[in-house]
Amino acid sequence: MNIATLKRELDPLTIVQVTIVVFMLTFFLLAPVIFMIIRAFNYNGSPSLYYFQSLIQDPDFIKFPPELTWYEYRSTAFGDILIIGRIGPDFGLILNTIFISAMVSLFSLILGVISAFIMARYIFPGKNIFRVILLIPLLATPFVNAYIIGKVLGTGGLLNYILHDFLKVIPFRILITGIPAVILIQTLSFFPIVYLNSLSSFINIDPSLEEQAENLGASGFKLFRTVTFPLALPGISAGVALVFIFSMEDLGAPIGLSGAFGEGLHQKIMSFYVYDEFRRGIGTIEQVHPSIYAIAVLMLTIAIIIFLMIKKYVSMRSYAMLSKGGRWSPRVRRLGLKGSIMAIIFLSIVSISASFPQIGVVILALTNWAISGSLPTKFTLEFLSQLAMKRDVIQSITNSLFYSSIATLLMILVGTSAAYVISRRKILGRDALDVLVTMPVAIPGIIVAVGYLLFFATTFSLTPLDPFINPGLLLIFSYSVRRLPFSARSIFAGFQQVHVSLEEAALNLGASRVRTFFTIAIPLIITNVLSGSLLSLVYSMNEVSTSITLSNLNPSQGPITYYMSRVIYASGAVGTVSVAAALGILLMIAQVISISISNYIFKQKVAFLGV
Amino acid sequence: MVVVRLENITKIFEKKVVAADHITLTIKDGEFFTFLGPSGCGKTTLLRIIAGLEHPDEGKVYFDEVDITEMPPYKRETGMVFQNYALWPHMTVYENIAYGLKIRKLSKDEIHKRVMEVLDLVKLRGLENRFPTQLSGGQQQRVALARALVIRPKVLLLDEPLSNLDAKLRIEMREEIKQLQRKLGITTIYVTHDQEEAMVISDRIAVMRYGRIMQTGTPEDVYKRPENLFVATFLGRYSLINGIVDNINGNRVVLKFSWGKVTGVLTNNRYRLTKGDEAVAILRPEIFKVTKKNGEEMNTFTGNVEWVSFVGPYIQARIKLNSHSILVNLDPWVKASIGMPISVHASINDIIILPSKEGEVF
Repeated sequence: MNIATLKRELDPLTIVQVTIVVFMLTFFLLAPVIFMIIRAFNYNGSPSLYYFQSLIQDPDFIKFPPELTWYEYRSTAFGDILIIGRIGPDFGLILNTIFISAMVSLFSLILGVISAFIMARYIFPGKNIFRVILLIPLLATPFVNAYIIGKVLGTGGLLNYILHDFLKVIPFRILITGIPAVILIQTLSFFPIVYLNSLSSFINIDPSLEEQAENLGASGFKLFRTVTFPLALPGISAGVALVFIFSMEDLGAPIGLSGAFGEGLHQKIMSFYVYDEFRRGIGTIEQVHPSIYAIAVLMLTIAIIIFLMIKKYVSMRSYAMLSKGGRWSPRVRRLGLKGSIMAIIFLSIVSISASFPQIGVVILALTNWAISGSLPTKFTLEFLSQLAMKRDVIQSITNSLFYSSIATLLMILVGTSAAYVISRRKILGRDALDVLVTMPVAIPGIIVAVGYLLFFATTFSLTPLDPFINPGLLLIFSYSVRRLPFSARSIFAGFQQVHVSLEEAALNLGASRVRTFFTIAIPLIITNVLSGSLLSLVYSMNEVSTSITLSNLNPSQGPITYYMSRVIYASGAVGTVSVAAALGILLMIAQVISISISNYIFKQKVAFLGV
Repeated sequence: MVVVRLENITKIFEKKVVAADHITLTIKDGEFFTFLGPSGCGKTTLLRIIAGLEHPDEGKVYFDEVDITEMPPYKRETGMVFQNYALWPHMTVYENIAYGLKIRKLSKDEIHKRVMEVLDLVKLRGLENRFPTQLSGGQQQRVALARALVIRPKVLLLDEPLSNLDAKLRIEMREEIKQLQRKLGITTIYVTHDQEEAMVISDRIAVMRYGRIMQTGTPEDVYKRPENLFVATFLGRYSLINGIVDNINGNRVVLKFSWGKVTGVLTNNRYRLTKGDEAVAILRPEIFKVTKKNGEEMNTFTGNVEWVSFVGPYIQARIKLNSHSILVNLDPWVKASIGMPISVHASINDIIILPSKEGEVF
C-alpha cells in the first residue's frame, strides 16, 4: 500500500469516521486502561514489578498448598447440616478466579452444547416451551438473581425445604456457599450464551455436509464427532470464550451471595476484591491501594489473551463461507417416546433451575418472601408501587434512562462509523480498528471503572469529567464504549448483507462518498441500526461494573444497577431487597420488549450476544 | 460521447493475481467494444478501472485525451450496469432512475420528463412506482440500463449484464441492447465470458487471458483470423491436428503428419515458420462439406463416423481418421450413422495454421 492509495482511500468521510472511532476508543477506553497499567508497574516513581511480586508471594492471592476441604458436616441446634464451600476449595484469590472461570466454561459447554443439539435436531412434545424458557436466564437481573439462589441454597432455603422438610429424601440440610456457589450461579446464568452460539452453529450447518457423511457410512456419535461438532466448533468456542471472560468479570454472583450469606469465600475472587477495595478507598484515589492495579492488569491480561486467541481461531476456521447458501430444510428428527422423555427431563432440569432466579425475582417482588422464610405467604403490590414512589428509586430509573439513551446515540455514531470503515474501506490498520472495536468485550468492566477513576480524577480534576463531580457523565461514555461491540456488530452484519455494488452504482451516477453513505448505505441498514441500538439501550441499563463503582463517588447520580447493588450488598433493610427485585422486573420487561421488537418488527435475528 | 484510451494499465491484486498486465488500447467514439475472456482474466477489473471503482497500479486512463486516472468515480460521467444490477431496494423504479438526475440538480419537471423518456426507451413505462423486488429479472435489467442511460453518460459500461437472465431472455436482451446503443450512438464497453454474446453484440472484441489482451479485432477477425492458439481455441469449437511444416508459399502452409497432409493459412504473419517447424491446424466443424472424392485429394479426409448427434440446424458428427478424430457439422439432410464411411473436404482459406510454440512473438 503506497501513499497515493492511502490518499485515495482516505476521503473526507473516511477521515471523519476513523477519527470519531479512534478518538472515542482511545480517550474513553485505551487511555484509562493504559494509565492504570502504567500505575501497576510503577513503584515509588520507577518501573517495577513490585506489586506483582508481592501478589504472588501473598498466600491470600496464591495459596500454597491450596485448601481442598470442600465440605464439612455439622450438627447444630437446627439439625445436621452438610456445608459445601465454606472452608474450601480455596486456591487463593487469583487462582480461585481462574478456577471458577474454567469450571463455569466447562459446565456451560456441556449444558449448552447438549441442550443446543437437542433443540437443533429433534422434535418432541413441548419443544416450543423450552425454546422460550432456555432464554429466560439471559434476562439480566443484576444481583437479585444471585441473592435468590443464595436464599434457595441456604439452610432455611427452598432446596432444603423441598428435599429435607417436605420430601424427606435427605437426612440433613445442605448449605452451598463459597466458590461452588459462585460456579453454580454463574453456570446457570451464562450457559445460555454457549447454548445460543451452539444452536445457531448447528442450525447453520449445511445439511448436505452431514448427508454426505451418512452417505459414506458415518452415523450416530461418529457423525457428530467427525462432522457436526468440528463444523460447529468455531461458534461454540466463541461462546465458551465469552463465558470465561464474563465469569471472570462478574460481580453479580459475589455481591448477591454476600447479600444472602455475608462474608465468605465467594468474595475471594479478583473482580470482587477490586470492587471492594475500590469501594472502601472512596474519597481520594490515593487511598486505593496500588496492588489492585496489579490485580486488574492480571485480569486484563487473561481476558485479552483469551479474546485474541478466540478471535484468531474463529476467523481462521470460519466455515460458514464454505456453504453455497441456498435454502435447505433443516435436519430434524422426531424423537420416540423414550427419547422424548429423556430430552424433556434433561431440558426441564436445566431450564427450570436456570430460570428459577428470574422466576424468584418476580416472586420476591410480588410477595413477602424476603421475610417469610422458605415460602412466601402473602401477595403484595407494595414493592412495585415503590418504583413510582420512592424518590431515590425514581431518581435511579431516570438516571439510567438518561445515560443509556445518550450512550446509545453515541454508539450509533461510533458503531456506524466503525462498521462502515471496516466493511468498506481498504485502509491500512483496518484490522486493528476491527480489534479495537471488538476489544471492549474482553475488558472487564471493573477495570474500565478503575481506569476511569485513575485517569479522569488525575488528569481532569475539577473539570466536568472529574469522576468525583460527575460520575454520571463518565458512565455515559463507559456505556457507549463497553456496549459498542454489540451495536457495531449488528450494524456491521447489515453492511455485509448489502452488496458493495449498490454503493458503487451511486458513485458511478455522480454521488459523492458522503452522499452515497447517507442516501444509500444508511437507509439500507437502518433496521440493523435501530435494532442494534435498542438492544444496546437495554444492555446499557443493565451495565453493572462501572455503574456501581463510579456511582459510589456521587450516589445521587447512580443508575438502577447501583441502587440494586447497594440494597443487596447492604441487605440491611429487608424491604428494600424486594424493591430491588421490583427494579429487576422492570429491567426484564425492558429486555423482553426490546428483544421482541428487534426480532419480530425489525426481523433481526440478532442473538443476545453473538460475537 | 468519447474516445476511451488505456495506456499501459497494470493492476495486481494482493501481490500475485495479475488482473491487468500493461494494457494499452483505444476504444473509438461510438464503438461497441467488448472485453471477452474466461473468468479471472481481468476483464471486469479493466471495466472498473475505467469507471474509477478500481485504481490501476500503473498506467493512465484517458477520456478524449483528458487524463482521468486520478478522477474519483463520481466525477467521471460514466453509466455502469452491474452484473447484479445493483438496484436500490429501498427506492422505487422511478427513484432509482431519478437518483443521478437529482444529484445533477435538475428541476423536478426536467427529471420527470427524462425519467419517462428513458422508461419508454427501455419499454418499462407504467412500472415506475414498483420496487425492484416486484420486478422480474429482465425488468430489473432494463431498470439498471435506464438508470445508467438517463444521465446521458460519456461511456456506457456493462459488466456481464445478461449473465443472470435465462437463455431465451439473454438472446432477446442482447439484441435490444445492441439496437439501443446504435440509436444513441454511445461509446459502450461490455464485459462477458460468453463468446457467442460477444460476437453478436460487438463492433470490436478484445480477447483476454491472465490480464493480457490476446487479440483485438472485429468478431470476424478474431474468429476467422485468430492470432494465437488461445484465441483460436477459446472461440468456437474445433479439432486440432499437430504436424510438421512441409512447405510454405506466402501465408499458405502445408502441414505434414503421420498419415497425411493438410494445407491451410497462417493467420498471424508476425510468425515466421520454416520447413520442419512444429505447427497446428485448427479445423472448425462448419468448414467441412461432404464430398464424393477420396482421401488422395488435398484437404479431403476419409474415415468412419464415430459419433453423431442431431442439433437441429445441422448434424454434428465425429469422424475417426487413423489416429485423429475430427468434429464436423453436416447438413441436416445428410444421412449419417455410426460406422458409416464418409469423406469431407475443407477449403484452404478456412483452415487455420498456427505454430505450436508461440512464445517468441509476445
